[in-house]
Amino acid sequence: MIAAAWICLFAPLGAAIAITLLGQRLTRRGAGYLATTSVGMSFVAALVSFAGLLGDSPSQRYHPSTLWRWLTAGPYDFGMRITVDPLSAFMMLVVAGVGFLIVWYSIGYMDGDDEERRYFAYMALFVFSMLLLVQSGNLLLLLAGWGLVGLSSYLLIGFWHERPSAIAAAKKAFVMNAVGDATMALALFLLIQRTRSLDFEKVFPQAPAFGGWAANLIALGLLGGAVAKSAQLPLQTWLPDAMEGPTPVSALIHAATMVTAGVYLIVRTHTLFEAAPRVEELAAGLGAATLLLAGLIALVQTDIKRVIAYSTMSQIGYMFLGVGLGAYANGMFHLMTHAFFKALLFMAAGIVIHALAGEQDMRRMGGLRQFLPRTYWAFMVGALALAGVPPFAGFFSKDSILAAALAHGWYGQLLWVVGMVGTFLTGLYTFRMLFMAFWGEPSAFVREHFHALNRDVVGVSLAVPVGVLTVLAALGGWLQFADVWTPVSNWLEPVAPALVEASGLQEAASSAIAVVLGIAGIGVAWWIYGARRAEAPRSLPLLEHKFYFDELYDALFYRPAVFLANALLKWVERPLVFGSVRELAGAIRELGLETRSIQTGLVRTYALAIAASVAVATLVFVVVR
Amino acid sequence: MNGPDVVWYLCVAAFLFCTGALGVLIRRSPLIVLLSLEIMLNGSNLALIAFARHHGREDGQIFALAVMAVAASEVVVGLGLIVAMARRRLDLDVDKLRTLRG
Repeated sequence: MIAAAWICLFAPLGAAIAITLLGQRLTRRGAGYLATTSVGMSFVAALVSFAGLLGDSPSQRYHPSTLWRWLTAGPYDFGMRITVDPLSAFMMLVVAGVGFLIVWYSIGYMDGDDEERRYFAYMALFVFSMLLLVQSGNLLLLLAGWGLVGLSSYLLIGFWHERPSAIAAAKKAFVMNAVGDATMALALFLLIQRTRSLDFEKVFPQAPAFGGWAANLIALGLLGGAVAKSAQLPLQTWLPDAMEGPTPVSALIHAATMVTAGVYLIVRTHTLFEAAPRVEELAAGLGAATLLLAGLIALVQTDIKRVIAYSTMSQIGYMFLGVGLGAYANGMFHLMTHAFFKALLFMAAGIVIHALAGEQDMRRMGGLRQFLPRTYWAFMVGALALAGVPPFAGFFSKDSILAAALAHGWYGQLLWVVGMVGTFLTGLYTFRMLFMAFWGEPSAFVREHFHALNRDVVGVSLAVPVGVLTVLAALGGWLQFADVWTPVSNWLEPVAPALVEASGLQEAASSAIAVVLGIAGIGVAWWIYGARRAEAPRSLPLLEHKFYFDELYDALFYRPAVFLANALLKWVERPLVFGSVRELAGAIRELGLETRSIQTGLVRTYALAIAASVAVATLVFVVVR
Repeated sequence: MNGPDVVWYLCVAAFLFCTGALGVLIRRSPLIVLLSLEIMLNGSNLALIAFARHHGREDGQIFALAVMAVAASEVVVGLGLIVAMARRRLDLDVDKLRTLRG
């Protein structure tokens, strides 16, 4: 089982290295197959680990393994150490499973791109980084994986490096993530100072003894990392821009796996958060604020990928809401179903974008139902799952989070109301997108693109992963049906015991209201965008500008920095540094000009000077003696 | 020890040296300047040998031999330069060779 976990971790790294080293000797297709096979191997290895854990009794499901000593500094010793426990096995399955489908899908999607090999090397590197993040057995290695996923995200967002907007988006994502990495590193320093270790089993039991301010600071630092990685308020602005990357990248990194790392981090370090209840409530509050904000912004976006990106932010908001209130298993369950249906939505959107030669603007789409019927149904399943309509996956997971919120006192009930509004918004923006892209009369643009094509434009490697995810998005939610059977909660119980339990009544009431609101959202979307019975309302400038967050950060950080740099240039650099150097050079030049007349070129003057000096020297010599 | 005292030798050496130095300083023909240089060197050679004899050691004589070797090579270089100048029909006047002024 441990060997399987190590294979799971290193198979994608091996593929990344092999693709890099083989270069031209590997065909482009070969690189794709190699990456897909390696991630598939990871998935099989994850299944083996999972099966191994199933064989243990629940309390025994904890298997750390150290391959070598990685870093030693004085009394501190950090190993290359992984942990196989229910939580990491859960994440391994999600990451490797969804990753396998998406890398496979990439073979068809990236076919013909000039730099396919580089793409697949990056993808394999990402899967390795993400597995390192979820498998690591100490917080230092977790931070290393955390940084590596940021790196691969940066590389893949900027994959089409000839587009300036892609480069700008990649840099933005990297810088905003670096803020989170920094706060997380500070939290780890404090942890080392308190516990002299970063191994999970040594750190977590000591958490209750930290005392107020230390516990709060540690939890805040970790929360900073989590919100940056998961694109939650106030570090959320990078995610929509990250849609500049290829669509499978958006599906894998910016929907299914990497952006949910924040949720994983909170669940993994839940004892540290429980030692600081205020910070944990802050996490829930930030999640609620983000889900509302992102849902509102998604209403006015016209780029199909950006709508899905905002919905990702919104859904991760639900997960933060859940885990912040202590409903860890519910949050993780939503993480899993979200990975299914959001990857499905992205990949179906990818097929649309592929068929329309890169067009992402929904206003130029329309009527695609006739041309891409199977994609339409796949998208429909994803949309229904996202909107939380039973019996699709989102219904089970999202409603269990909301029910748990209802059971968490007045604060939870407040967030429950926000979550309910979010449910309505989810139905509205999801089906606005679906109706705009797939319903109505085909636009001239769409007709032009499909005129010469067969109806069946979708290749095998695009169709099969989408098909599998459609099934998962439709049925994946049945894994857990709160109060009736709860295998996910039972599975995660040994790692992260839930703090709140919703009663059956709360579950039922919350679900009913959420479904009604979700369907109401769908109905409104149908009324305006499907049936076109009402004029689409004018969009608010506030939403168009995404609540002015970019402008705010521009004014708060970018402009002062530029102002400061300009001021320093004008008042310090130019007069002091440049000035002093220039003055010194000028003085030396003057000195040279003055003394050049001494060099006459007349040999006899030189001889006289020598003779006179010798005479004077002799005289001095004699007199001084 | 026979012969005049070392002082007399030194006086002759100083006279030779000063004559040479004067020649170097006031004559303009490079040929004469070289010649005067040789006189200066010979003045110093005389002093070296006088001291060698005065102290009864041979270091000074060896030194004088070395100076003569150096002087010979210096004359080779100097005369070569003068011949090269004459070939180019340049004036043999050190005051006119002042291209290297600042």
